[in-house]
Amino acid sequence: MAWSSQQSARLRLETDILSRYFPTFSLRDSIIPGHAVVEGTMRSNAGHEYVIRLHVPADLPNSVPVVEIISPILKDRFGHSLVDLGTSYSMHLLKPENGVVRICHYSASHWSPNVTFTKVLLKIRAWIEAYEGHLDSGFPIDHYLPHMQA
Amino acid sequence: MSSMTALVYVLEEQVRDLLREKGSSRLIDGTAYGFDDWTVFHAYTEQPFTTPSGYVCTCIVVRSDAMGLVDEEKTLAEARHRLDSDERPVIVLIASSDATGSPSCRALVVTRAGVTGADTRFVPRRSELYTRNTGLLETSALAAKRVLIVGLGSGGSPIALELARAGVGHFTLIDFDRLELGNISRHVCGVNDLGRFKTLAVRDQILQKNPYAQVSTMEVNVNQALSQVDEAVAGCDLLIVASDNDQSRFNLNQMSLNYNKVALYGRAITRAAGGDVLRVRPWKGPCYNCIFSSGLVDGREEEMSQKRQALSVLPAYVEEDKINSMIQVGLSSDIAPIANMMTKMALVELSRGIETGISTVDEDLASDFYVWANRREEAYGNWPRMGFKWTHPSILRWYGARVDRDPNCMVCGSHITEDSVI
Repeated sequence: MAWSSQQSARLRLETDILSRYFPTFSLRDSIIPGHAVVEGTMRSNAGHEYVIRLHVPADLPNSVPVVEIISPILKDRFGHSLVDLGTSYSMHLLKPENGVVRICHYSASHWSPNVTFTKVLLKIRAWIEAYEGHLDSGFPIDHYLPHMQA
Repeated sequence: MSSMTALVYVLEEQVRDLLREKGSSRLIDGTAYGFDDWTVFHAYTEQPFTTPSGYVCTCIVVRSDAMGLVDEEKTLAEARHRLDSDERPVIVLIASSDATGSPSCRALVVTRAGVTGADTRFVPRRSELYTRNTGLLETSALAAKRVLIVGLGSGGSPIALELARAGVGHFTLIDFDRLELGNISRHVCGVNDLGRFKTLAVRDQILQKNPYAQVSTMEVNVNQALSQVDEAVAGCDLLIVASDNDQSRFNLNQMSLNYNKVALYGRAITRAAGGDVLRVRPWKGPCYNCIFSSGLVDGREEEMSQKRQALSVLPAYVEEDKINSMIQVGLSSDIAPIANMMTKMALVELSRGIETGISTVDEDLASDFYVWANRREEAYGNWPRMGFKWTHPSILRWYGARVDRDPNCMVCGSHITEDSVI
C-alpha cells in the first residue's frame, strides 16, 4: 500500500516544519510506508552531537513514531550501556532493537495526529539535556523529566 | 417424551428450494435438533447456516411427486430403520405444494412407541420476518443497508444484534479477539462460544435474529491491515467504531473522512462510570481528532477491560501490578446505555431520507457528542445527586455538547478540504 494523498501532504508538512526548526533532519526511504525514516543530528548545549532516527509509521499520523539514538553509543554515568538497561522507567527508555536505544517520548494514550515530528524531536532534545544532566549528577533522567500522567 | 403434540420448525426458504429440484431422488437426509424432552424440533433440509443448538436427531425429508403424492409406508419403514438404541426420535418432513402452488410441509415424529403427527411451523421468508417493525422502521430499506462494525466486545456486539433485529441486511464485522471466560458476563455470546473469534460468534447471533442477513467477517487488527479495512470502509453505508484503542479510532477516522462515511464512536470510561458517543458527519461537524484535541475527553480515561488493551497503550516499562490495577471493568448494564445510544443514532443515520417513525429523533440529536454518567465517581464525582431537579447535571441522562470542527485540526482542519481527499 502506498502513502495516501493525505499522508503525502502530511509528510510535506512535516518536512517543511522540520526544515525551520531542525534543519539537519531530512526524510529518507520515503517511497514505501513502513520504511521511511527522518534522520538528523542534534547538538546539546554542551556541544555534543547525537544522530537521531525517527521511524515514520505506516499509518502516519495515527500512531507514535519510534525514535532511536543511532550514535554515539550511550552509557550511563556508571559506564553501563543504556542498551543493556533494556526498558527503563527512570531513564525513559523503551525496549532497544538492533542494538540502539529507543526513547520513550509520547505514550499511545497521549498521542494524537496533531503531534508533529518537530514536537517529538523537541522532547528528544530535552531528553538529551536530561541525559547529560544524569552524566554530571548521577540522577536518573526522570529527575529532570517527569513522566506524563498515564 | 412428553404427551403434548410436538412442534417442528422448518425454514420456508429451504422447502421452496427443495420443491424446485427436478431430480428423481425424492428422499433426502436432513438434519434436526430437539429440545425440551423431544417436544420441540428445528428441522433442516440441509445443514443450517448458523451454529445450531439442541440435541441432534435423525431427519428424513421426502419431496412429493407431480401429483402431490408420497409413499408414506416406504418412508416410515425407512424412518423406523434409522431408529437407534438411545431413544432419539426420527423426524420425517413431507414437503409438497398446495393447490395455489405455495409450499407446505407435514412433520411426523417416529419413535419406538409409534408415529405421531406434529404441528409444523414455517420460519418465514425475509419479507415476513419483521412485520412487527412496520410503521416505525422501513425494514425493507434497511435490508439494503451495509454496516461496518469494528470491535465486537461488550459495546459492539449488542449494537450488531440490535441492528439485525431492526432489519439491517448487510454486516461486516472486524475484530481479531477471541471470546474468553472474562468476556462472557458482558457479552451477547455465552460459554458455548468460548475460544471462538468474536466476529464469527456474533455473526451466528445475528443470523439467529435475521437468517437472511449477509454477514462478512475480518479477523484482523485494524492497525495492521489498513488496506483491507480501508476497502471495507469504502463499501459501507455506516461505520460503527467500538474498538478499544485510539490508534484504531484515528485510522478509522481518516478512512471515514476519505470516503465521506458517517461514523459513530462509543467508549466507556474507567470502571464504566460513564461514557461518551461521538457522531462524525465528515466535513460537516467535528471529526474524532477534533474531539480528542478539544479537551472534552481529558480526565475521562477509557475503561481498560483486558490486559492486551492496557499493554497497547502503556509504555513497556510499566510494571505488572500497575497494569493489573488498571484493568477495572464495569457491569454489562453500564455499557448497555452507551450501546443503546449508538444503536439509535445508527438507525437514524441509516433511515436518513426515508420517512419513518423515528424521524423526529434526528431533530433531537442536534449535537454530535454525547456524555453519559452511570455513577457519581471518576470524572462525574462532583456532580450533584439526581434528586428531583432537572436543571443540574445528573447520572443516567444523556447530555449533548456543542462542539464545532476545529479549524486547526491536523486531520480535517481548514487547510484540508473535502475535495482534496476524495
